[in-house]
Amino acid sequence: MMRKTMMIFLLIGLFMPILSACWNQKELTDLAFVMAMGIDKGENRRFQVSFQIVIPGNVASGQGGGGGGHGLPIAVYTSSGDTITEAARRATQKISRRLYYAHTNLIAVSEEVAKDGLLDILDALDRDPEFRTTTEIVVARKTSAEKLVSALANLDKLPVNKVTKEIESTEALLGENMRVNIDEFINGLISHGREPITNGYKISGNQNMSGKSDDLKNTRSEAVLSSSGLAIFRNGKLEGWIDREKARGVVWIMDKVKSTSINIDWNGKKNAITMAPIRSKTKVAVNIKQGKPVVNVAIEFEGWISEANTTVDLTDPKVIEKIDKSVANEIEKQIQSTITEVQKKKSDIFGFGERIHRKNPKLWKKIKGNWNERFAELEVNVKVDSFTRREGIRTKPFWYDINQ
Amino acid sequence: MSIWSTMLKNKQKKRKNDNVRQHNDPQKPEEQPIQRNYEDNVSRIKGELGNSTDLLFREYQIGDHKGTIVYVDGLANGQLINDFFNETLLNSGFNGNQDPFQFLIEKAAGLGNFQFATEWNQVFDSFLSGNTLFFLDGYNQAINVETKGWDKRSISEPSTQLSIGGPKDSFTETIRTNTALIRRRIKSPNLWLESMKLGTVAQTDIAIMYIKGIANEKIIGEVKERLNQINIDAVMAEGYIEQLFEDQTWTPFPTTHHSERPDVIASHLLEGRIAILVDGTPFVITVPAIFAQFFQAPDDYYARFDISTSLRILRILAFLIALMGPALYIAATTFHQEMIPTTLAIAIASQRENVPFPAFIEALIMEVTFEILREAGLRLPRAVGQAVSIVGALVIGQAAVQAGIVSPIMVIVVSITAIANFSTPTFMMAIAARLIRFAMMALATFLGLYGIVLGLMFMSIHLCALRSFGIPYMMPIAPFNAQNQQDIFIRYPIWAMKYRPKFISKGNLVRAGDNQKPMPPKQEDSQDSKGES
Repeated sequence: MMRKTMMIFLLIGLFMPILSACWNQKELTDLAFVMAMGIDKGENRRFQVSFQIVIPGNVASGQGGGGGGHGLPIAVYTSSGDTITEAARRATQKISRRLYYAHTNLIAVSEEVAKDGLLDILDALDRDPEFRTTTEIVVARKTSAEKLVSALANLDKLPVNKVTKEIESTEALLGENMRVNIDEFINGLISHGREPITNGYKISGNQNMSGKSDDLKNTRSEAVLSSSGLAIFRNGKLEGWIDREKARGVVWIMDKVKSTSINIDWNGKKNAITMAPIRSKTKVAVNIKQGKPVVNVAIEFEGWISEANTTVDLTDPKVIEKIDKSVANEIEKQIQSTITEVQKKKSDIFGFGERIHRKNPKLWKKIKGNWNERFAELEVNVKVDSFTRREGIRTKPFWYDINQ
Repeated sequence: MSIWSTMLKNKQKKRKNDNVRQHNDPQKPEEQPIQRNYEDNVSRIKGELGNSTDLLFREYQIGDHKGTIVYVDGLANGQLINDFFNETLLNSGFNGNQDPFQFLIEKAAGLGNFQFATEWNQVFDSFLSGNTLFFLDGYNQAINVETKGWDKRSISEPSTQLSIGGPKDSFTETIRTNTALIRRRIKSPNLWLESMKLGTVAQTDIAIMYIKGIANEKIIGEVKERLNQINIDAVMAEGYIEQLFEDQTWTPFPTTHHSERPDVIASHLLEGRIAILVDGTPFVITVPAIFAQFFQAPDDYYARFDISTSLRILRILAFLIALMGPALYIAATTFHQEMIPTTLAIAIASQRENVPFPAFIEALIMEVTFEILREAGLRLPRAVGQAVSIVGALVIGQAAVQAGIVSPIMVIVVSITAIANFSTPTFMMAIAARLIRFAMMALATFLGLYGIVLGLMFMSIHLCALRSFGIPYMMPIAPFNAQNQQDIFIRYPIWAMKYRPKFISKGNLVRAGDNQKPMPPKQEDSQDSKGES
């Protein structure tokens, strides 16, 4: 009897591998890790998709990789299709391994495609369980998405890391870009009171050198991947760009500024003092004035003086007070100019509409219809409170000694 | 009819058969009295033992009665017997007025503790276990004097269960030494010892030890009953008994515990467990055993509770690694690549680029190689051992990677698994993890993480179904018992372990008194008694 039960278990054990048929099994070496996808307008078909695939042996160093690290870290294959899925399937004609998207970190979209609208692309990325919705999405500016994903980078072995890490560090240290992933982008799309933005990315320098290993032999690469402004969308279509200080204003209103630099004039010298934030907190409040919404942006800024290129007595509280005031003015000016610029584009990327909705749903129902038009005429007040918390390790700049 | 009921019936039938067999055992000698004629007796002994040369006879004469002593060379203390024979028996000074047998008894009492033997069974039993027999012509009785004195290993440090703190002695092969080692630790009249012999041919001495009033009477009865059912020619070591009386044979997990450390056994006895000592082996069995017990190292109780607790959690973690390490690697690399951080995934992929086998085969090769090395290392004579470790390090390290048979990461996985396996304090539990690991690897290959979870579920179900002498194996985790968690995952401070485990011991449950937590002296007290502290 014991033998019979043993037999039953043995049979179950033996059948398991056959019946399960190695369900979903895929060896690492049979996978092509797609690190980035570039989407351009196709010639015959609607989209031309470029797949940046990592060559593992050339990325990982050490003896395990079979003396790797010499060849190019990535290979780019392109294929075309009327939908993203079709293009991905057609790509199998060129690629020996199964395309694997779970490690895809970047979707680059060309300006042309972005202007036509991203609505037909996003569902493919959102629906596929292999895709992560934390994948970042960028618009290739003044270049094709294919060139963008083909570009190599000197410091980072994987160019895609260069892009995602660079956006991260710019957000943290300069505040002119901010990370936008597919999930956030789609959230912006479906919201009535907010429009999505995303980062622009370009190849500065000689675009033709992009993707050539020769370029990596130069200490100053001729083609360099660099972030470039924020792309503003309306109804899923690229509406325009916003750059530099104005882009910083956007990040500021979104309360994502961690660090940046603010220059102010002193003693008649331009940009004499530079301030860097330690902490910054942005509060956006909505008031209804005579049936009209008014948005108040209040920023509480704490910073430290990172440069003082003039004779200034930083031990004097009155001087500090004056510096605080002019820093506040400078920030206010930047943000105001950002708002004017964005209002011109008639795209509420700040999500003011959502705030009005939350504050007064009835009013929102009335103005929801042509919100973007109303947004252009919206009254926005900006108030900045600035506080200097530290002066670095020098109280008096050496300029004192020079001028004596 | 269900499978289970038929199985149950078969088992019952088997039990009955066993009982019947024990009653008419052909090997058990019948009861026969000793003859009056001593020549007959001597020739019978010689005949029965086939003139074995280690059997020694020395003849003497008391008055006109001839006699002989019989003992086995090597088992009895030869020096003692010689001295006695030459100085006492030969210079006997027998004056002829006394009854010669009575005279002999008086003399023999000087040699040691004595009894009378009247049957042949007793005769053979006694001198084969080291006693000396005095025969005298004309008397159908023999004097059986205890003269056990064979060469034995001295008490040494434990070789398999090492610890940093605590006692350094360990059991030996002699059962009397072992019982003494336990008695030296528990000087209580309630520490009871019962003896019996097992093995129809070998007649091995077995001792059952327990603390009366703490151990559960029911379990004591069950232990005795199961030991009595054992009917085998010989019991060579503790493993024989464990295999013959455990609750469930079809399991990789040990349901009895054994240790070579007297401190461990003593503490088990104090928790109400029952110890079974077997002559000829330095390991002592204790039952009932629970799962959590196999992760308790003696050091746990000699260090403070915070240290012990963290070490115990570390050990449980290591056990899980030993159980699932390679399986998780296989599952992650063949099913769930999205779970590996990108950089690591690429690194693993690049390492596996030149490996010709799928992950499972690769893991299997490495695991089997390691198991072979371990087994060989265990058996090899010490002189060659070093060679094996060098060869092993080369084979499963550098060379295998360079030859492109395995990837470096696999070497890391296997090494970590192997090291983790060694951190389980009991060898029997460690070997269970080793065995299950291979099943886990197969499950991971076919079903990925799902398979591993499935395997763990089966394992938990199996563990919950196990019992050790009627005690659920997973006690007190499942069924959960809040009061007895003091020594499971967290080792409570000694002063907080007030009670003995309720599920093992019966009756006297209080282990420690109230207010055992050490405190600084009270303020007023210290002022009163200055200089005392």
